[in-house]
Amino acid sequence: MIVTVTLNPAVDKVYWVDSLRICQMTQEEFLTRATRSSTSAGGKGVNVSRFLSAFGMDNVAMGFVGGHTGHVVVRYLQHKGVTTNFVWIHEETRVNVTILESGRDHSPNLINELGPTVTEAELERFMRRYRRIVKRASWVILAGSLPPGIDPGIYEELAKIANEAGVKVAISAGGESLTRALGACPYLVKPDTRERLLLGETSLTSTDAIVAAGQHVIACGAQLVVISHDVTGDIAITPDAVWEIKAKVPTSEFRNLVGADDAFLGGILYKLAQDAPVEESLRFGMAAGIASAESEKKICEDRAKVEAEMAKITVERI
Amino acid sequence: MKVREIMTRDLTAVERDVPVRELIFVLDNAEMPNVPVVDEEGVLIGFISEKDLIRAALPGYFEMLHSASFIPDMNQLTRKLGEIADEPLEKYMRTEVLSVTEEDDDLRAADLIIREGVKNLPVVDGQGRLVGRVRRIDLLRHFL
Repeated sequence: MIVTVTLNPAVDKVYWVDSLRICQMTQEEFLTRATRSSTSAGGKGVNVSRFLSAFGMDNVAMGFVGGHTGHVVVRYLQHKGVTTNFVWIHEETRVNVTILESGRDHSPNLINELGPTVTEAELERFMRRYRRIVKRASWVILAGSLPPGIDPGIYEELAKIANEAGVKVAISAGGESLTRALGACPYLVKPDTRERLLLGETSLTSTDAIVAAGQHVIACGAQLVVISHDVTGDIAITPDAVWEIKAKVPTSEFRNLVGADDAFLGGILYKLAQDAPVEESLRFGMAAGIASAESEKKICEDRAKVEAEMAKITVERI
Repeated sequence: MKVREIMTRDLTAVERDVPVRELIFVLDNAEMPNVPVVDEEGVLIGFISEKDLIRAALPGYFEMLHSASFIPDMNQLTRKLGEIADEPLEKYMRTEVLSVTEEDDDLRAADLIIREGVKNLPVVDGQGRLVGRVRRIDLLRHFL
């Protein structure tokens, strides 16, 4: 069983608009009518859970939820076949808004809330639940931003608990929470580079820099580091190889990039959890990410479509 | 049909040393009328409901009258709940717990829920660990 930890889940609200006009002057007021909208549960770990459930893999999603929006997250996941194990808190789960303009689908406008403040008592309840569930897990996925009130050392602590239980850890995060978690030697590291192309202090702006940063993480004890550098290309570093993963797909085919990166991680884990080789896992992961990007839904749940994308993916040692 | 096909996959549960105050927060926020009690391995060891808390606060009235109409005011309930708020819930939980497994038939779950008058049943795996619950509404939705 795979456990996904999303400490700061969200209700993801997506609006499709013909064009988004932004007020530039005082006393201006523009009304933009959405041609369509959708509501779903979000957060990086939550998205991974959605992918795994769609592909029939047993998984448990945990983290913090609160208020009406917390119920939206829990009910959505249960409807998708995910087992939920969230701690209820006093403040309300955040809402993240994505605005997709017609013809600019691969450049979404995102507004993400910070999230609710988590108290020490609520964190203690979570830790107790985490220690209990991790004994039943084969993998733990630590993913996404931290809500206010949570120390950036939390992922390191959660990774250490998983290590002690003999459970493999994957982390998809950024900033200090990621840097500190590297000290606990997670098996798989996927830096979140949406806000800053950084891993620790290293700027990930060239292939050489990405490989050097990845090899540094491998030297810390990780077995697989996956770093995105392009919408249709990633670099993966293992202790004995560097891989370039490429998708031969025009970006004009993309409909919604939100969640595609999480589908990519979900695809890799889906295969690794079945002891598939790294190369196959990377190819399947990229196919899942591309299929999701080409879908208006955040996560592509269609196995045939993901498998059809496999032919367009190359994974080569560099 | 099997229970695993209709159950709600949620692991919301409390431990036996959780204070009553926190239990009420969980029941309220998770919108559950009752909640399973588990040990450190996730094994189901008990069950506690809103009804159990009312019984704990107003034992005489609850057992004898099954009605609140004879209670002169709510001060007694408020005072008694205040007195037990920081006590561990294990004092008031039930340890003889009905449960089903994922492989049980839907009819067995329906029979237990109707016969025992409960709103949901914990679902456990072969080692007695909580894996979800089957709710009365799950059955109604399923049989519609």
